[in-house]
Amino acid sequence: MARIKPPFAATKKGFSFNLGPEERHVVRRLIGEVGELLKTSVADDPKMARLFPPAYSADEEAETEYQRLMRDELVTSRLHSIQQVEEFLADDSVGLLTFAQLDAFSASLNSVRLVLGTLLGVGEADEDLDDEDPRTDELALYNFLSWLLENAIQALMDSSV
Amino acid sequence: MTLVAAAPATKERTELDESIAPDHPWIVLVWNDPINLMSYVTFVLQKLFGYNLEKATQLMLDVHEKGKAVVASGPKEKSEMDVYRLHEHGLWATMQKDSL
Repeated sequence: MARIKPPFAATKKGFSFNLGPEERHVVRRLIGEVGELLKTSVADDPKMARLFPPAYSADEEAETEYQRLMRDELVTSRLHSIQQVEEFLADDSVGLLTFAQLDAFSASLNSVRLVLGTLLGVGEADEDLDDEDPRTDELALYNFLSWLLENAIQALMDSSV
Repeated sequence: MTLVAAAPATKERTELDESIAPDHPWIVLVWNDPINLMSYVTFVLQKLFGYNLEKATQLMLDVHEKGKAVVASGPKEKSEMDVYRLHEHGLWATMQKDSL
């Protein structure tokens, strides 16, 4: 896929956002799916495990208390980011993002990668893609999200120098 | 982070430490995992803790190469909030009593 413009770039007015309608649609769908999972999944759903890591690895009681107090907070916070992102992704004409929007986008992209990566059993990175691998489409999607996030982080870091 | 994550399995003597030194600080650890991008981890550490690029990059490299790094320390309530904010960003963070 040849690209002239990067998907995000820090400018004086904010962050330019260059992503085609199809790509926006794919990203919006995936982020929306994670939003639905956050609303509906049960506490021990393995594909969501990476979104709710343990805080206390050696103290079961403290860990239970942490999850009781913080799990809903984590869900609410993530849904808030996802809602922000869905709003600007729904409008194909949006070509400029604020820091807060790109920050929410990055967090949401990472949530999708955590779920997709868990489903794919992503291990040591840079796994070679085998054309016969039934996971090829999903891995390509995962790699696309990684590329998008990498570019978002680069733009965010460029802006704060 | 490209290496397979080490399971956080450190056994702490929590109750014992508490009785000896009630103000003993807690440490917040970030563990290596195969999904989070190195640049993303660096960015989150800068954003949450105000570290400069050099410090955040060094911590990220420690996580990547040694499997974990202490990214913050302090009282229990503050550490729990730090862990929460790291979890909010999808990082694999835990907290424990500083055993030193």
